[in-house]
Amino acid sequence: MKKLLFLSTLLVSIAFLSACKKDEDKKDPGTLEINFDNIAIVNGVEKQLSLVAPGSADYNYTNEMGQNFNINLLRYFISAIELDGPNGEHFHDEMSASASGAKGYYLIDESIPSSQRVMLENIPAGNYNKITFTVGVDSAGVVDGAAGGVLDPATNKMFWNWNSGYIALKFEGQSDVSNGGTSGTETIADDNQKGIAYHIGGWKNIPGTAFVYNNKQLTFTFDENVKVESKNAPELHMVFDILSMFKGDKMIDFTGNHNVHKPADGVDMANNIAKAFAYDHIHQ
Amino acid sequence: MKKYLFFLLGLIAFAGCKKDDVGTKKFSFEKPVHFPEPTYTFDKNPVTKEGFELGKKLFADPILSVDNSVACNNCHVKSVAFTDPQHSLSLGVEERSGIRNAPSIANMAFMKEFFWDGGGIHLDFVPPNAIENPLEMDEKLAHVVYKLNHHSSYPALFKKAFSGIETITAPYMLYALSQYQVMLVSASSKYDKYKTGDEMLGADELEGLEVFEQKCAACHSGELFTNQDYRNNGLDTEFDDPGRARITESDADLGKFKVPSLRNVALTAPYMHDGRFKTLEEVLEHYSAGVKQSATLAPELQQNGTLGIPLSATEKQRLIDFLKTLTDYDFIQDQRF
Repeated sequence: MKKLLFLSTLLVSIAFLSACKKDEDKKDPGTLEINFDNIAIVNGVEKQLSLVAPGSADYNYTNEMGQNFNINLLRYFISAIELDGPNGEHFHDEMSASASGAKGYYLIDESIPSSQRVMLENIPAGNYNKITFTVGVDSAGVVDGAAGGVLDPATNKMFWNWNSGYIALKFEGQSDVSNGGTSGTETIADDNQKGIAYHIGGWKNIPGTAFVYNNKQLTFTFDENVKVESKNAPELHMVFDILSMFKGDKMIDFTGNHNVHKPADGVDMANNIAKAFAYDHIHQ
Repeated sequence: MKKYLFFLLGLIAFAGCKKDDVGTKKFSFEKPVHFPEPTYTFDKNPVTKEGFELGKKLFADPILSVDNSVACNNCHVKSVAFTDPQHSLSLGVEERSGIRNAPSIANMAFMKEFFWDGGGIHLDFVPPNAIENPLEMDEKLAHVVYKLNHHSSYPALFKKAFSGIETITAPYMLYALSQYQVMLVSASSKYDKYKTGDEMLGADELEGLEVFEQKCAACHSGELFTNQDYRNNGLDTEFDDPGRARITESDADLGKFKVPSLRNVALTAPYMHDGRFKTLEEVLEHYSAGVKQSATLAPELQQNGTLGIPLSATEKQRLIDFLKTLTDYDFIQDQRF
């Protein structure tokens, strides 16, 4: 009898303990959808970006130097996403690259709305108030060779064959002050004399060498905690302001600097790009 | 009964193993004992017979070019260790002249960087440069993939080589091409047989080896006969082709090119990044009497205040005797390639 009592006590305590543990082990993991909204901030007002047909003489934007321009194409890589919370919460998005596909790399294309929404899954439940990501593809995505998914060079059109590596950000458009003569573009015809092309890349981050590293790791803190758990479907909105790409420590002048295709030529713009991203708001 | 089952299972496992060894040995990558470790990422893309055969077919197929006129083996000809014997600067579609000489693609599995300027950092990324360069094949990767997917035999061949794939994509095409290229290992020349103790070198060849080790091996080092670094070897004083500086974007690298492997060098004329020398004699004449001074000239070519490498007529002859021992007849006659 004593034995039985002992046994049942043990059973009850085990049941209790495991229940307790389950409770403490918190809620199931959740998701976070990150929206990369490409915008133009004109006189302090955020406006959705609009693309034009290649060759268009309809200039709907003006840079800081007062030069008119428009946009045919805007495409950039986001990778190595991490989230952090005020109480030590941490999540890093799994990354891998091989012919069968690429995980943790996202190609944001202004002409493809679905590409601008990045769904992170299996995030440990908790509060998060900080995001870190890299604009571009760092060495881990390059040194193992050919990869599929968004890293497929045939479909992403973001790869430099002559200097192996992924372009971090590609911009193509027209400006009425351009001197023409762009090369190696996707959308600018040979006879288009108003083309402006900025292919910003350079992933070799090797101290002590002359290589230019133009990928940017950026961190943003939110003005409120985003609550991640299975029953929520929060959305984070990041913005990328196209006009900030052309201003900053160095202004981009469409007359002299209109055809960028190598790392060293893209340094100023890469620095501007780092400041063109911003945290905007959260939908809980 | 159970006992028998285990025995049977064991037998099957054993047979499976054995079959594997015999059936695929010829088509799996093997590092020659005296070679350094390969650089290729075999963990992502292991060589199989089907993948290798597919890569071989692609390598010889002009479908990779815009007008179906130029294949990889137009400029990388097997009989001359996968170089182009006819043109200093190889010809692309519509007879367009390239800007550099087609290098040998032997022993690519061991190379850290590719092309004369080292702009390629992985073997998988080498073919797209030739495919999309307007002076070479002038095609688009996406269009090659389209043509392959609509071809009568390639879809089935890709599915055999890479199980589970639905359609052909560029990375799998590049995997196949790499599987073929990593197998192109040249390691059974007379010199290799001397190294492994299977054959003797003649007196002249040994003398040449001695000169080589004293005067050439600083750059053409190791069993690959290259330190895989970049040097300005004094060909010019002004550089129409910036060479390595195109990649590093540093003036300190102007006029530097990758130190080429010397394996099969007696077969791989013409020489230098632009194919300006037709014979090994011309090459040695350059190193002994033709080296030009410039800001980025290799330190190895200006020792003790002298330009170039002092070489007597006899030393030159012995060097050539030695260099000929690097010709690998097994390699250029290998039926698999």
